[in-house]
Amino acid sequence: MGERETVYEGLKRQGVSRRGFFQLSSLLAAFLSLPKSDGTRQLGLGEFKPKPSLVRQVRKALESKPRVPVIWLEFQDCAGCTESISRSLSPTLSNLVLNTLDIEYQETLMAAAGFQAEGAKQAAMEKYAGQYLLVVEGSVTTKDGGVYCTIGGKANDALLREAAAGAAAIVAVGNCAAFGGIPAAAPAPTEGVGVDQIITDKPVINLPGCPGIPEVYTNTVVHYLVFGALPELDELKRPKAFYGVAIHDRCLRRPFYDAGKFANVFDDEGYRKGYCLYKLGCKGPTTYNACASMRWMNGLSFPIQSGHPCLGCSQPNFWDGGGFYQGQSAPLDRPDALVIGAAAGAGLALGAAAAAANRVQKKRARSESEESGG
Amino acid sequence: MTWDEVLRFARGPLFKVALIVFIGGMAYRLMRVLLLGWGRDRVPAMGSKAAGVVKSYLKGILIWPFIPWVKGTFRRNPLIYVAGGLFHLGLFVVIFLGTAHMLVWKSLLGFGWPTLALPIVDWLAAVAIVAMLALLVNRLVNPVLRMISGPAEWLNWGVVFLPMVTGYIMTHHLWFGYTTLFSMHMLAVDLLLIYIPLSRISHFMFYFFSRTIHGTEFGKRGVTP
Amino acid sequence: MLATQEALNQFVEETGGWIASQLEACTRCGMCTEACHFYLTSGNPAYSPVWKMELLRRAYEGRFTVSGRLKLALGIEKPISQSDLEAWRTIDYEACTLCNRCSLVCPMGIDLGSLIHGVRGALAAAGEVPDDLEQATQKQIEDGSPLGVDLDAWRDRIDWIQDEWDIELPIDVQGADTMAVFTSIELMKFPSNFAYIAKIMEAAGESWTISSKGREVVNFGLFEGNTEHTVLFLKRIFDAAQELGVKRVMVTECGHAYEALRWTSFNLMQVPAGLEVTHIAGVLGEFVEQGRIQLKPGAMDDGTITFHDACKIQRKGGHIKEPRMILNILAPESFVEMTPNKEEGICCGGGGGVISIKEADQKRFDAFELKIDQMNQIGAQRVAMVCSNCRLQFADCVQHFGLDWKIYGLSQMVAESLAGDGDAGGVQPAKEG
Repeated sequence: MGERETVYEGLKRQGVSRRGFFQLSSLLAAFLSLPKSDGTRQLGLGEFKPKPSLVRQVRKALESKPRVPVIWLEFQDCAGCTESISRSLSPTLSNLVLNTLDIEYQETLMAAAGFQAEGAKQAAMEKYAGQYLLVVEGSVTTKDGGVYCTIGGKANDALLREAAAGAAAIVAVGNCAAFGGIPAAAPAPTEGVGVDQIITDKPVINLPGCPGIPEVYTNTVVHYLVFGALPELDELKRPKAFYGVAIHDRCLRRPFYDAGKFANVFDDEGYRKGYCLYKLGCKGPTTYNACASMRWMNGLSFPIQSGHPCLGCSQPNFWDGGGFYQGQSAPLDRPDALVIGAAAGAGLALGAAAAAANRVQKKRARSESEESGG
Repeated sequence: MTWDEVLRFARGPLFKVALIVFIGGMAYRLMRVLLLGWGRDRVPAMGSKAAGVVKSYLKGILIWPFIPWVKGTFRRNPLIYVAGGLFHLGLFVVIFLGTAHMLVWKSLLGFGWPTLALPIVDWLAAVAIVAMLALLVNRLVNPVLRMISGPAEWLNWGVVFLPMVTGYIMTHHLWFGYTTLFSMHMLAVDLLLIYIPLSRISHFMFYFFSRTIHGTEFGKRGVTP
Repeated sequence: MLATQEALNQFVEETGGWIASQLEACTRCGMCTEACHFYLTSGNPAYSPVWKMELLRRAYEGRFTVSGRLKLALGIEKPISQSDLEAWRTIDYEACTLCNRCSLVCPMGIDLGSLIHGVRGALAAAGEVPDDLEQATQKQIEDGSPLGVDLDAWRDRIDWIQDEWDIELPIDVQGADTMAVFTSIELMKFPSNFAYIAKIMEAAGESWTISSKGREVVNFGLFEGNTEHTVLFLKRIFDAAQELGVKRVMVTECGHAYEALRWTSFNLMQVPAGLEVTHIAGVLGEFVEQGRIQLKPGAMDDGTITFHDACKIQRKGGHIKEPRMILNILAPESFVEMTPNKEEGICCGGGGGVISIKEADQKRFDAFELKIDQMNQIGAQRVAMVCSNCRLQFADCVQHFGLDWKIYGLSQMVAESLAGDGDAGGVQPAKEG
């Protein structure tokens, strides 16, 4: 690893002092001050005093480890996750963190295009085989041989498999790459699926959201960088550190929920008073993400705080979850009036038949007892 | 299969099927009784049948809060009255006046209504659960109930108790994960929906038959207390 | 045909929507048990009302429901057997008076009394009726009275009554307004009732008669649960009424007869058009309200007195106000209600045919202990009632328990307290029986 620049060297080259580097290490360690098992610690900038030993660990890692090569593939996506990560409003943190990455291939951001870009990707994959981080954005389509998403004439699933073969770790950013997202929503003409439906032999880490919170992306990568391993994941392969707590359980409007104070209609009196948005369809109770604690725009706000019910965008199938304004508790599927009418009709008909059969029995019983002189 | 998938299944296709079975099943039970033959009542009435019916329903709804009034009618074992009443009260409040459930009704009917604050609903749910347990113990211990209870009665208790207890644990985030418990609650609810037309839990539909008959029989005779 | 088959046929035949919907409504909650005097005084769970109608439930589910048929086929439920019929014969005839208190307590409002009566019907079809009851019914079929009082014996007895009380009873008077139908219990055990009622009718200026054909209003077919016999006995009354051209039939002091004549007959047979059916309790109330008879206020005001509600006249008959109106006039200072009372009143334990079955004696004595408790609770030793079957039970139990009570019939009290009599009561009560 001697010939590759370490993170510290890269930072020094950009003019960051030794002291600044110490500060960065502390900050990063704060993000990583998480118990390893349950991910229920609240995340907030500067809220926790990390253990000195952890700060040292982070510093040592950044001093000695080289920057991580990243191959960033986009398939059926809107590039929103790319926008998110690069729109981060904490230049000190994100840009510096991004400087720990060595992005070899990123369609949206890189200058090169066409054969040049594809060539750069092949070269990087060969040079850093077994070391690079594969980040995937957008869902994958295999329908009709994958023709609905091709790059340079190659189908997206083939490209994914090729890239995954030499990856040290695979990160699916955004709901599309994690669970299929928009392309998987009804009627799903291309039948988009998440990365882990294609890559089944290697661990995939999901960082869903639509888009995901930038600090979630960057800090997951930092975790990988510092500890050399993926963080603890839940059953949907999301880091428990960021997805271990439901929005509902950290939401600032929760007291209103408990007190039964709701906004019934947008802009009604309750809404203007900032009451709970549960009746407007908030999916907070079943949505796991860091929005209510870390929040967006460097901790500025998040949808509920700004007055819109949570969409549940870090959960699978949130597009088809009954609708953004339907209650979280409501069923996801229900029979329509015609089917209900048919069921009732069938029931009534069968019941009438049963009653008729029973009446025949009664008649027979009467005639039997009359015969026997009953 | 992840709990998330289980949850989506239980809230989605399984719920749809359960609701269809529920509606079809109840329609079947209704018709089977409705068309079994009803004789015309030729007995001249002495009092008002209509008044009897009204009083009968009022008595049925209000009888529970006025236990001292009915105390003369039964001597011992007020447990069934109290526990049964508390259970039904809690059940109705939770199902109709709990916000989460109201939103379910809203999605099915197209309109909603105001609901009670969570602590009240929650407390009544706890009371209902305790009442259910008391009723279970009573059914196990009371010699008459032991005699008249078969496998159906125990099943009835279990199928009704499961949604209540999973719902309560779910709301309080006590054990397992929310998604897991929500899945269990939905599975229990789906089971209940399918089981109702196959069991005596359907009594809420036949209530209207028996109470109306009761009212006409007593009203006819001019006995409307 | 096997008895069990007969029973099953009867169950199937009699079960329509009215019975079926109530059977479906039962949730096996067991609250009816707490209202039954037989259960309360014996602790025997087999006496609970819901268990008494169990055969009906089994028949209904086993024949009319898919799940019931399945359970029978799989052996989870057993078909109704001969021993079942015998067991239910005991509990349905000896430990049930069809008082219907259970239906008041049922949260679903199920008419258990009628359903248990339905079981009796099936038992009767199978020939499983207690011997005493069957014999009494036979006597009523042949002689016209369960006590065996045939026409000749009746005439003798009527003559004796007229003689003993120095009254003339209108017999078979064509075109009278009211036909009073008595019971042979009154005839044999409380014959003064004839005199009392005659006095009242005369004082009220009522055009009335008794009938030799319609001389027995007791209906043992109703106790049996046998529709054929029930109708046979009813027909005698209605035929007599029609022949005499009366406007209304008045049942005297009997409970189940009122139920049969007033509340059941119209659905079993063709009742003569325009014929009214009423009860002495209602008529007494009518006379007092309309001022046709005057009562001496406070005439019975010497010692706490209470009223025993007869199941078939009060709870199932609706004549709750009239006795109280009368007692409030006759004993305003001393009339105290028992608890419970009115339509919630506790059965005397002798109705429904129970008193005619020897094997049931201990059960009805046990049940009567509730009445003793009630009387003791209010410190009463005088009690009035308007049903002679209750009166018989009270008299029998007073003797059995050695109680120091005085029992009055309503007609007796009214007749003895008519204003305008020279002395207190112009009728000398002879020894009962």
